[in-house]
Amino acid sequence: MKGIIFSVKRYAIHDGPGIRVTFFMKGCPLSCWWCHNPEGRSYEPSTVEQIDRIGEKEFRKKEIVGKFYDTKDILAILEKERIFINQSKGGVTFSGGEPMIQFDFLLEVMQSCKENGFHTAMDTSGYSTSESFNKILPLTDLFLFDIKHLDNLKHKEFTGVPNELILNNFNLIVESGNDYMVRIPIVPGFNDDPDHISRLKNFILGEKHENLKMINLLPFHKIGSSKYKKFNIPYKMGNVEEPSTQKMKELKAFFSGYGVRVKIGG
Amino acid sequence: MVQISKKTPDQFIHKALDIIRTGFGQPSCFNTDAIIQELLRQGKSLVDARNGGCSGCVETGAFGTESYWLTGYFNLPKVFELTINNGYDTLTQEQVGLKTGYASDYKSFKDLMDAFRHQLRYLVDIKIRGNNIIEKTFANYLPVPFLSLLVEDCIVNGKDYNSGGARYNTTYIQGVGLGSITDMLTSVKYHVYDKKNYTWDEVIKALNCDFDGFEQMQYDMIFSSPKYGNDDDYADQNAVVVFEIFYDAVNGRADSRGGVHRINMLPTTSHVYFGSVLGATPDGRKAHLPLSEGISPFQGVDRQGPTSVIKSASKIDHLRTGGTLLNQKFSPQFFEDEDSYDHLTALIRSYFSLDGHHIQFNVVNAETLKDAQKHPELYRDLIVRVAGYSDYFNDLGEDLQNEIIRRTEHEIV
Repeated sequence: MKGIIFSVKRYAIHDGPGIRVTFFMKGCPLSCWWCHNPEGRSYEPSTVEQIDRIGEKEFRKKEIVGKFYDTKDILAILEKERIFINQSKGGVTFSGGEPMIQFDFLLEVMQSCKENGFHTAMDTSGYSTSESFNKILPLTDLFLFDIKHLDNLKHKEFTGVPNELILNNFNLIVESGNDYMVRIPIVPGFNDDPDHISRLKNFILGEKHENLKMINLLPFHKIGSSKYKKFNIPYKMGNVEEPSTQKMKELKAFFSGYGVRVKIGG
Repeated sequence: MVQISKKTPDQFIHKALDIIRTGFGQPSCFNTDAIIQELLRQGKSLVDARNGGCSGCVETGAFGTESYWLTGYFNLPKVFELTINNGYDTLTQEQVGLKTGYASDYKSFKDLMDAFRHQLRYLVDIKIRGNNIIEKTFANYLPVPFLSLLVEDCIVNGKDYNSGGARYNTTYIQGVGLGSITDMLTSVKYHVYDKKNYTWDEVIKALNCDFDGFEQMQYDMIFSSPKYGNDDDYADQNAVVVFEIFYDAVNGRADSRGGVHRINMLPTTSHVYFGSVLGATPDGRKAHLPLSEGISPFQGVDRQGPTSVIKSASKIDHLRTGGTLLNQKFSPQFFEDEDSYDHLTALIRSYFSLDGHHIQFNVVNAETLKDAQKHPELYRDLIVRVAGYSDYFNDLGEDLQNEIIRRTEHEIV
């Protein structure tokens, strides 16, 4: 079985503990306005024009985004990095896109990673069936679970999908006893008002959170905007300011106050 | 410098990183376990090996018992240039090498490498003959009696330090430009022999024109060739082949003091000079520009991050050298992450468990980033981190690049 992956990152240090390899899997059912990997949305390989420069001179070439890998290919890459993974207590992370979209492939490859002794993490929007999450639970050492907004309407407006399924799956992971981190994009004007932040805190740190390893506050940034141009996707965030360092520090202090480890960034 | 062995606690490395992150370029990190194995292989006793270490740049020696000399740098890419020009140096217009043939005479990559081996051996022979003359001059006219009092066995042997009086005598020749020569050979193997994208005649013509009018070829050689530093065996195997050829030509050959020649791989600053006396090369480098330094990849060609650089650099056998030098650069924001010390510690320990000899971390400053805007092809490896997200500097829009330059200028260290 083959999966389609649009980027492989060695020395990935923001996607779970230690030094990891992150595989960015193509295809996502969400279309978040602030997405910094918009090339990961479509399910098929796409061709873009890559522009390289030598001094002032530009060179253009066609580049395919999204290549097919089978489980053997994934393990070969991990073997190359094993010394660093072992030394740093790192592992492998599947990100995207939304990795659960390629569920059958993900199941097979995570099974193999486990069998070969790699710590497995999955960076997910949570938007998949509960049945699928139940199947993948035993193979996932750590979930990096995105929570974007608690209001269904707002969620639908800014991500394209409602949030019931996501919140249900989150509860399922909390109940399962697996380790997880929560990742919250901080997007000014969308989810950063004090009332919503307070509700987020109540939701995440509700009755049960002993397996919550960390909260990652991911400040919205415009670095991804150059990709929108490159991939010819309309960019809706032109007027939104990046959150200030001060604001991020305040939010970190707020969540830290409840005894959970908080990090700005991944 | 700091020496790190498998027994060194993480806290010590973290303290070293406190200083490294200031961008001072120091301390550099040395692998104690490798140094001792290098010295033992050279025939030192365990006690003398354990009393040894590194001095100068990265060169290994048994302190207090050894007279180890660095006798000059050896321009590996120049050997390649002579190999494709029938031993003729186009810069000085002199026949300095063997007449092994012209580029298009080499029908296979193996033919090319055989000729390269003969050229290199011939030039090392000249080098060793020269070394012996210089060493005899030192022995005859430059005695160092005070130093001879301090270095073991000079008194017992009744011989000056400069005449082979020390317990151990080593003459090092430093190979320079490993990354560059590897990329040159790899590019030729890829584009001429394997893929047949270009003929030798076309390549030679482009090199003679310094790529003027051959920009597409230069682009292909830079951007569409496998490169040393990416944990890609297609390229890295050529580093190993060059290393072994150089090692075989030098290692164990007698010097004039009763000792032997050994290799190490360090450039000091000679990679700049050696580049200045070299024309354009098939790795896409324009004439007279600097070569790669130490065993680091050529500037900007490592595109897979530091773990891949470490993997590539550890494919040569460091334990048969008297020192190698590996430089890595990071943007200052990299150190802001609270786990960055743990990651860097793991990197150092991994490299050292692969028998790497030395690694040094340089922190990029705003001037470097401005240069990267002007010469993006030399900074394809440069990753910057802003607010929980990292990307290649080259892939950012200009306004964002400027933003990162401003932030770097204001970085308080």
